[in-house]
Formats: sequence, C-alpha cells, structure tokens
Amino acid sequence: MKSGTAPQLQVIESRRGFTWVDGVVMLALLTIFWSALHFGKGMLVHFDESTQQAIDSSVWQIPYYAGRTLLRMWIAFAFSLIFAISTGYLAAKSARARLLILPALDVLQSVPVLGFLSATVTGFMALFPGSLMGVECAAIFAIFTGQVWNMAFGFYHSMVTIPTDMEEAATTYGMTRWQRFTTVELPASAHSLIWNSMMSFGGGWFFVAQSEAISVMNRDIKLPGLGSYMAQAIHNGDDTAALWAVVAMIVLILVSDQLVWRPLLAWADKFKIELTESQTPATSWVYNLLRGAYVFTWLGEHVVEPLLERSWKIGRRQVKRLAPLKVVRADQVWRAVVAVFLAWLGYEILSGAVGAAEELRGALSWALFGHIAWLGFLTMLRVVAMTVVATLVWTPVGVWIGFQPRVARFAQPLAQIGASFPVNMTFPLVVGWFVAANISMNWGSILLIAMGTQWYILFNVIAGAMAIPNDLKEAATVYGLRNWNLWRTLILPAIFPFWVTGACTAAGGAWNASIVAEFATWGNTTLKADGLGAYIASVTRSGETPLIIASIAVMSLFVVLMNKFIWRRLYAFAERRFRLD
Amino acid sequence: MNTAIEAQVAPAVAELCAVSKSYTTAGGHELKVLENIDLAVHQGELLALLGQSGSGKSTILRCLTGLVKPTSGRAQSRGKMLAGMNPDVSIVFQTFALYPWLTVEQNVAVGLMSRRMNRAQRQEAIDHAIDLIGLGNYHAAFPRELSGGMRQRVGIARALVSQPKLLCLDEAFSALDVLTAENLRQELISLWRSKENGLSSIFMVTHNIEEAVEMATRIVVVFPRPGRLGLVLENPLPYPRDTKSAEFQRLVGIIHESITTMTLPDLPPEAPPAAGQPVSRGRSRMESIPFVPVAQILGLLEILSDSPELINIYDISDEIGKEFGETISIVKAAEILDLVDTPKQDVDLTALGRRFVAADRDGRRKIFAEQVFKLRIFHIIIALLNEYEEIDAGRIVKDIASALPYDNPEKTFETMIAWGRYAGLMDFNAKTRMVFVPKDEDADVDAQG
Repeated sequence: MKSGTAPQLQVIESRRGFTWVDGVVMLALLTIFWSALHFGKGMLVHFDESTQQAIDSSVWQIPYYAGRTLLRMWIAFAFSLIFAISTGYLAAKSARARLLILPALDVLQSVPVLGFLSATVTGFMALFPGSLMGVECAAIFAIFTGQVWNMAFGFYHSMVTIPTDMEEAATTYGMTRWQRFTTVELPASAHSLIWNSMMSFGGGWFFVAQSEAISVMNRDIKLPGLGSYMAQAIHNGDDTAALWAVVAMIVLILVSDQLVWRPLLAWADKFKIELTESQTPATSWVYNLLRGAYVFTWLGEHVVEPLLERSWKIGRRQVKRLAPLKVVRADQVWRAVVAVFLAWLGYEILSGAVGAAEELRGALSWALFGHIAWLGFLTMLRVVAMTVVATLVWTPVGVWIGFQPRVARFAQPLAQIGASFPVNMTFPLVVGWFVAANISMNWGSILLIAMGTQWYILFNVIAGAMAIPNDLKEAATVYGLRNWNLWRTLILPAIFPFWVTGACTAAGGAWNASIVAEFATWGNTTLKADGLGAYIASVTRSGETPLIIASIAVMSLFVVLMNKFIWRRLYAFAERRFRLD
Repeated sequence: MNTAIEAQVAPAVAELCAVSKSYTTAGGHELKVLENIDLAVHQGELLALLGQSGSGKSTILRCLTGLVKPTSGRAQSRGKMLAGMNPDVSIVFQTFALYPWLTVEQNVAVGLMSRRMNRAQRQEAIDHAIDLIGLGNYHAAFPRELSGGMRQRVGIARALVSQPKLLCLDEAFSALDVLTAENLRQELISLWRSKENGLSSIFMVTHNIEEAVEMATRIVVVFPRPGRLGLVLENPLPYPRDTKSAEFQRLVGIIHESITTMTLPDLPPEAPPAAGQPVSRGRSRMESIPFVPVAQILGLLEILSDSPELINIYDISDEIGKEFGETISIVKAAEILDLVDTPKQDVDLTALGRRFVAADRDGRRKIFAEQVFKLRIFHIIIALLNEYEEIDAGRIVKDIASALPYDNPEKTFETMIAWGRYAGLMDFNAKTRMVFVPKDEDADVDAQG
C-alpha cells in the first residue's frame, strides 16, 4: 500500500472491474473459438480423389467457404510466425548459422509458390491417406511459403539493430537467454514483426486461389474455400456468384485489417525504440475500444505475468560460474551433434540434387533448356515492362497523395489493402474481355501482372513522399524550384530508396503472378502467353516432374540474379547517396 | 579514515592487471585502444576515471566489469579472475538504457532478474530502491513520460536494487543538463556516504574535471592514443565539497597541469639550421592530427583575437562550452599549424596566427596551405600526388595506419582531406574514393613541391 502524497488527499484505490466491453470481448473470443472448431471440422473429412464433392455454387455457401479460407490463412500464418522467429533468432545469434540461413532464405524466397505446391502435394497426401487433411496441409504449406520469407528477414534485421546499450544492460544484469528474449529482443522487434506480418499476411491472399484449386501433378482437387468457389463460379459462367465472391474477399481483407492488424499496430507503438511520441501514431477504433476491456489487464496480471516469471526461474544465469572443464565438454558434445546433423542434412540435399539432376539429364536436351531460358527472358521483359509502366503512372499520383496528409491518411492503407487483394480471382473476368477484344495474351498478361503488383510501388512512393522533411520542401519553395527542377532536385532523389523497396517487392510478386497471368482460362477458352509462367503452369498441371524442376529452377535463377545484380545494387546505391539523415 | 589501510589489506573489489585492448576499425586496421592498464578499485572508495572522449575510459570500464574481454592481461574481482560478467557489479549508462516498453517498476525489476527471490522480497526491494531515488509515485509510468533526469534515476534504481558490491557509472551525468546533473550527483554522494544500501564502492568514468574532484576520493587520469594511465590523485577533502574553496581549486589546478603537460607538451624550440646542412622540410617527428574541422580552428583564432584576456586553456574551455578534451584537440590542431603557442596552460596567438586572423580569405588559405605543407603526415599524400594524378583512398589510409599506429586511420584521413580541401591542396571524390589535385591549384603545388 503506497502512502498518499499529501495528507489532504484521500487515496482511494480505483476499483477497476468488468464492463460491457469485456462481455463483447468474451463473446468475440468464444465466437472465434467456435468458428475455428466448426471450420476445422471440415478439414478432417474423408477424402477420395475420384469422388470429390463438388463446390456448391449457391451464394449462401459463401460465408462457409470464406471461413474455411480464413482458417487456412491463419494456420499458415501461425506456422510462418514460429518459423520466422526461430530462423531470424538463429541467424542473428550465430555467425555460422547466418552463413547458411540468409542465402538459403534468399533462394527459397525466389522459388514460386506453385513450385512448393507441386513438390509437396503428393507427399502431404501420402501423410494423411484417405483424409482431406493431406490436401489441406499442402494448401496451408503453399500459403506458408508465400508469407514466411519476408517475415524471417524482417525479424533477423530487427534483432541485429537493437541498440547496444540495451543489450549491454541485459548482460550487466545477468539475464538468461530466455529472459533476454522475452524482455529485450522480442519487444524490440515487435513493431517491425507486426508490420511485416501484416504485409506478408496480405501477400498470402494471392496464393489462396492457387492453393485451393490444386491442379498440379495431373490432379484436379478443389478444396472448399473462397478461391475454388470463385473458380467454380467462373467455370459455370455464374457472374453473380463470382461477384459475390469478390465482395466476400474484400470483406475478409477489410475485416482482417480492421479487427486484427490496425489494433496490433496501434498497440505496437508501445514497443517503438525512439523515446518520443511518433508524429503519426497508428490509430485504431478497435484498439481504443479494447483498451476499455478489463479482461486483458486481468489476464495479464493473473495469467501471463506469473507464467512468465515462473519460466524465468528455469534456466541458468548467462554468467558461467561453473568449473570451466564441464562446460567445455558439454559444448564439444553439442558441437559434434550439430556437425553430424549438418553433415547428414548436406548429404540428403546433395543426393536429392544429384538425383534430380540425373532425372533432368534424362529428360532434357540442351535445346529444351535453351527454350526454357528464352521463355524466362520473355517473362523477365514483362516484369521489367510492368515495373517501368507502373513507376511512370503511379509515381506522380503517389507523390501528389503523399504531399496531402489528409488524403494520404486514408489512401495509403487503401493501397496496402489493394496490394493484399488477390486480383488473380478476377483474372478470368479480365481474360474474358481479352478474348472479346481479341487482345494477344503476350501483352495482356502484362496488364494482369500489373493489376496485383503495382500497388506496392504506389504505397511505397506515398510513404516516400510523406517522409520528405518539411524544411527541404520549404527551401525548394524559397528558391523557386518548380516542375521539372523540383522533381529532379528534391522529389525523385528523396523517394528513390522507397521506390526501390516498392519496385523490388512488385517485381518479386510479378514473377509469381506471371504463373497465373500468362496461362488463364475463360469458360472453355485457354489463353496462353509465350513465357516461363505459362510454361510452369502447364507442366505442373500435367505433372512432368523433370520439366517442372527445370522450369522452376530457371525461374528461381532469374529471380536470384535479378536480385543480385539489380535490386541489391540499387539498394546499396540508395543507401549511399539518398539517405535523408 | 581507515579505509585507506583497509583497502591495502583486503583484495581490491575489481582490478585490471596489465590489460591491453585492440579493436579492428571499419577499414580492417588494428587499433590499440588500451596499453598495459593496471587499475584497482578498493573497498569503500569512490574512484573517478577522468579522460577526454576517445581516451579509452569506457573501454576500461567494460573490461573491469566483464562486458568486454581484454586482448591481453586479466580482469579480476576480489582476487579471482573474471569469467564473463562480474555478478557483483551494476552499471548506470550514459544513455540510460531503459526499455521503453517496461514501466519504471518493471525496469527496476530488471536489476533483480538474475537473482532468485520470492515475490514479496522482490517487491520490497523494488519499492525500496524506487523510494530511495525519489520516484515513489512513478511506479506505473513509462520512460517516454519521464524527463532525462528522472530516466537516469530509474537507471540508478535499477543498478542499486540488487545491492551490488561495486556501482559503475559510465558518464552517467553527461547526457543531463547542468542543474539536473548537479542534483543527481549530490544525491548519489549522500546515498553512498550513508552506506544505506550496502553501497560501499563506486567506480565512475567522466570527462568532467570538476565532477571528478567533487565526487571522488581518488582520481585517475587517462591519456589517449593509446589509452594509458597518468596521474593518480588522492582527494581527501571532506564532504560536502565546496567547489569554490581554495583546496578544491588547487586539486583542479593539479589535474589541469598534468593534462596540459601531457597533451600539449612544451618542447624545446627546433634548432636553427646550421650552414651547409640540408634543411628538413617538416617537423622532426610525425604528429598525429587531432580530428578537428577547419571551422573550429578558425573559430578558436577569432575568439583569441577578440578576447585577449582569455589566456588559460581551461578558461577558454569554459568560454566555448566544450569539455576540456575537445578544447585541447582544437588548441593542439592550431598549435601544430604554428598558429598558437601553448606555454604551460596558456594559449597565445603567434605572429603568424595574428597575420592569419587579419588576412582575407585568399590570404588565410595561403597561410593554411603553407603550414599544412610542413606537416610530415601530409607528405604522404603530397608526395603521391606529385607522382600520380589520382590516388586511391585505401592506399593512403594504409600508409597512415603504419605511420600512426595508435590513431584511427580512417578518421585521420577524413580530417586530412578536410584540411587539404580548405588549403586547396587536394580534393576527394567520394564516389570513386580517389584523392586528386584540384585543377586550378596545380601551380601552387608545383611551386611548393
């Protein structure tokens, strides 16, 4: 009991109790729990490939399918989070691990999701024979691979940029590894982790359609979900159903954004390292509402804190006070174990690679390989074209929006949501227009690719324009800089680093998009473009493994090379010349 | 006081024996930061380590506490060698190092994280520490709601809550304004003297001479490049100490003299050239360049010329509001350019210095160029420039590293380029990392070369 500050003031302990808000929260939590069970039930049904249940095209089924899709997204996200934190932590703490992990993440990031899907669908189905769970796992894994890489990089980056004095304080006060992780490292990375999660989760929507209507390896399986519902509706030519599906998708995205991500971002302000109030703190009406809920404070006091404190008691102090000899032996044993494991892993990977190479050599000729490479080059031209056109179109718009704070405040989140929306759902409609207007897919696919990825350029340019310091703008006004001079001297250099981020993300997404953009169906017509995306789509459909491996390897190679020679260089250039600090 | 006798009998609370520390700079060069340091903190004393920025004093603190492992030599705690962090030590950091997502209470609780206690004892210790430093009503506040002084109080509470045998302060008051700093100093001294918390020994690192004399029972001065110990001064003045008293000022004077003797030595004037002997162009020893921008040298000369009553270097330091280490650097820069003289603790404009101040922009540039040309370290660049049109920066940095092993070669290079640019002797292309002679100065270099 603290004594009152002054005898004149009566210290009355404020009785904070449960209010109606808590009732709403409990109800919401119960609903979430019930829905998870309800939708999850559907994952465990018996499944036979030959007698699949058709997707019900009735509009009233949409909420159910939306729920299934949402459940899949969240399960995949949970795995992504765990994986990202583990790999990021390992890479940050151990230099040897870093040497392995970072390049591995780089390469994995460049493999298109469809590649992962075709590689794993048979495996997962064999894991759960006779049950839909196998296919669900494959779909969840596909979504996982669409979400995780960026999060892993982001977590690693935030781990290595923790201020030195905070780390030293943790060492000084003898924190164990777990204590350090829960008290310093995780909170310091919280803001960046939540932001990256939001972006990655949004990016995952794109792969929903690909992962639910699995037409790989000569199989044609439709998982109950919004993506396959949409595909079915298009196939039936049912425009109303298709439209309702699109609406449902938008609702799902908006709901996720408002009820989950914005509140989390507003809460994450607490973890920002700068010790001053940020200029534009994230606001969320849901967060403001939830702050009134006592249940979270109660949970914090009575559940979270005791658990955390008990967990801190386990584990040694990080200061070694034991006899040096014992420690060295344990360390050596551990090192030996890790070495053996790595050797085994390396052997497995090598033998797998050698086996694949053997298969390839059998099935491929140099001519075919050259053809694949040529197709890759064509797709690369499309990616570049998309980036260039999107930059030319959206940079002026983005800059104009960025300079008007009031417009920017709602336009930027809108562009972020636009980036999340899986436009591949609407591809069939656009393709229908292509067919009607007799537009060649070689050009039309560029438009399709752009539809999904140009938003990354837009909202990064907006962010860049918003970040231009006021005094630079004022100096430009004073010295009469206008039009081209203003752009050349101030605006373009200032937004350059942001543009690089946006263009790099857009280009990366474009490669994945090319697989669905270059090979699209409308009713009975199939439009194909000359490109690597179309090639990959057709060989995964027919299941010719050596060709799949070859074409995916080529695409990954293109992405990795583009990253290394274009985006890395641009990043370094932007860092060197255009930093505004 | 018996502490001096006690101290000689009991093993030191924390000790460094023949410690040296080297770092690798960003460019890959090895820099020796500490050279053969022998330092002991005894029970019951308040030891102040005094030195300018870059003298290695923070490194000494980190070696002493076990945060950093010395390259050679050993760190000991009560006679036993340290294996990792010293568990009886707490540190208060210059930048506070509070966690923004934890309340004051939780931040203080961090100090007890490594101890096994039950909840009640822990809460009592935390409450006691918070009350001790006067933040009794701020338990639930977050650091961003607090002022700098209050944040440092939280840092001190966190350090004291575990009742450490040795409290270390790493420039704990440097980031605070003068009044708050003074207030905190006095509070800390009374805390230490009351021996309330079992707090018996304090080790503090500072660049503020007055602060050291005000607080410490023993003062050790560190000289930079490489870091080595110089003066050791016992301070027997009784607390509370009056900064205006004669005794206080006497101690300050001793320290001042020691520092200026070491950093701005009065060497005999160079012998006049004998007839028939070749004239050496530069000075006989390689001077290390203080990392001082030209503008600050010019500013110093202006101030000296405007205020002829400003003579003593420590008065100048007060006048321009910089810590003594920085002032000494600026004065040294002006001195190696022969623009000022530094007899004892004074700073006088030389005749050349007066001419410099009176000259116009071009005249100043000429004088500056002439003087820079005489510095032996610049011969490295100038000789190469005479041979080649442009030189790669990396090569020059390597040459500097071998010529001046205790200085940071990249920083020396940057300062040399800055001076060279002002003098018009050279220019640097940051994109290509090449040093070259600016076109219209070609004639000058030829004339002097």
